[in-house]
Amino acid sequence: MSNLAQDVAKLARIDLPDDEAEATQANLEKVLNYVQQLESVQLPDDIEPFFGAIESVNAIRVDQTQPSFAREEILSNAPDSDGQFYKVPQVFE
Amino acid sequence: MSQTQEATETTQSQRDAVTDADVTLIVGLEVHVQLDTQSKLFCNCSTAYGADANTQTCPVCTGMPGTLPVINEQALKLAIKTGLALNCEIANYTKWDRKNYFYPDLPKGYQISQFDKPICGAGHLTIADPKGAFETRAIQIERAHLEEDAGKSIHDESGAKKPTKIDLNRTGTPLLEIVTKPDLRSAEEAKAFLTELKLILTYIGVSDCNMQEGSLRCDGNVNLHINVDGQKVATPIVEIKNLNSFRAAERAIGYEAERQLRVWKKDGLGIGEAPKQTRGWDVANQKTTPSREKEGAADYRYFPDPDLIAVVTTDQEIAAIGATIAHLPSALRTDLMENYGLEAYDTEVIVSQGAGVVAYYESVADFLTKSASGSKSPGKTASNWVAQEVLRYLNEQSCEVGDYPVSGEQLGELLVRISKGDFDQTRGKDVLAQMVENALDLDAAIEKLGIKAVDANEIQSLCQQLIDENPAVIEQIREGKGKAIGSLIGKARKLNPNINPNVVKENLLKQIGI
Ligand SMILES: [Zn+2]
Repeated sequence: MSNLAQDVAKLARIDLPDDEAEATQANLEKVLNYVQQLESVQLPDDIEPFFGAIESVNAIRVDQTQPSFAREEILSNAPDSDGQFYKVPQVFE
Repeated sequence: MSQTQEATETTQSQRDAVTDADVTLIVGLEVHVQLDTQSKLFCNCSTAYGADANTQTCPVCTGMPGTLPVINEQALKLAIKTGLALNCEIANYTKWDRKNYFYPDLPKGYQISQFDKPICGAGHLTIADPKGAFETRAIQIERAHLEEDAGKSIHDESGAKKPTKIDLNRTGTPLLEIVTKPDLRSAEEAKAFLTELKLILTYIGVSDCNMQEGSLRCDGNVNLHINVDGQKVATPIVEIKNLNSFRAAERAIGYEAERQLRVWKKDGLGIGEAPKQTRGWDVANQKTTPSREKEGAADYRYFPDPDLIAVVTTDQEIAAIGATIAHLPSALRTDLMENYGLEAYDTEVIVSQGAGVVAYYESVADFLTKSASGSKSPGKTASNWVAQEVLRYLNEQSCEVGDYPVSGEQLGELLVRISKGDFDQTRGKDVLAQMVENALDLDAAIEKLGIKAVDANEIQSLCQQLIDENPAVIEQIREGKGKAIGSLIGKARKLNPNINPNVVKENLLKQIGI
């Protein structure tokens, strides 16, 4: 896990200065090592995997439309828009 | 795809010696189908195509903090229905995972998808083998999972580095991603698979499959297995993105096969020795080009979405959905061949037009079969008329069979009259044209054209007149020049346009004494 902190930072599109990277790396390793203890638990073969903390299932809605939000209201959350579209910097240089 | 074999070192002279016969094309497809729901997968916004930008969004589909997604029941049902039509195992337990990546048209920073518990598991789709008549090939399907669509980015192509514009109307629209095993062996086979898949999806009504509107999108994974002195060498896998027509898919895969062989003959790099590449299809130049994508393997860090709970579907519920599948194209092909005696080619012409045309054809053929018209091959006669007359009209008018002005029974009745000898095929087409153009029923159309049944006495005297007036021709016929009779029939038509040429021919021969 040599570059763990930088890899995660890159995936999260965060600039991580070298001086912070070292401390972050140490913290992440501590967390991972702690959680890794779970891997040492011996489980019987026939146990079903567990995917979530809630045991209930089937929260389902009927396929019906409802009015959407006004465009003005939705776009007011955007850093930049032209009143019709969100405007973002070009992804590819 | 999961080729894991090590690349084999090859020499230039070994590579030069490779011929087409040593090369096997390996293709797997990923097809995204937009399911035909009213509302989005996790919110109540409309999925209607073509609305003004950003008028069909809400806090859920724009990824506002604190909102919660709720799964759309109809999307689940349509996904299960598709899975059943593709012979997939349907999961009784299915769950939702986050696929994490950053892109401006993905407002949450992740896509809700399905990772290890997809709604549809392994299945297969049988296609006609393009190489051999009447052969079929079962293409294995690995899985089909539900996921939400992303928004649409409109990039500035002027080079002025203007901002990209984002429309989030499509964000959250339900998609079913159907993934095949790397089972396809040619570009033609890939096209045949896509054509049959689209036909099935249209028959079961889960998607409009409109490729222009992006309801059906396809990516292909392509590489080559090359036999080098008995050793199998695999070329690096290339993913071709956004094949937005079947023609594009066929061309792009064919091009990629040639390109990979050319590159490998030069550099000899095998799978694992060069990174997996993503390429796009350049329609204008008819070639694949490397995509503008970031280097390095994608790391999506899938994990279970804590905002959603699992869906459990019982076998009874799955069976109930299966019961809503009326007919699949493969079953209809068999029906048409067995019940109406059609050849494979004629069957395909009808079946490929969809369930509406099949039902129309059956009503024409049934009418003709049940009437005591003496038609020798009612199934074939009906297919000729539907293929030539009805489909041509639908094509010209770009309309559906439901809009065709003549009912199946009316066309059937018209064919009965032809079969009985009331008038011939050519006159029959005039009658049909009257029915279509002037919305007339059969009898009115016949009356409008002034067609009257010609009785036996009239025919007899007409034939006698021809015999008397054309002794030279009669002599030729007696000498065995069968073709000569054609000129007499032409003359008969001029004397009376309502005569049936076959009846005239029979009478002429009888009266001449042949
Ligand atoms: Zn919404």
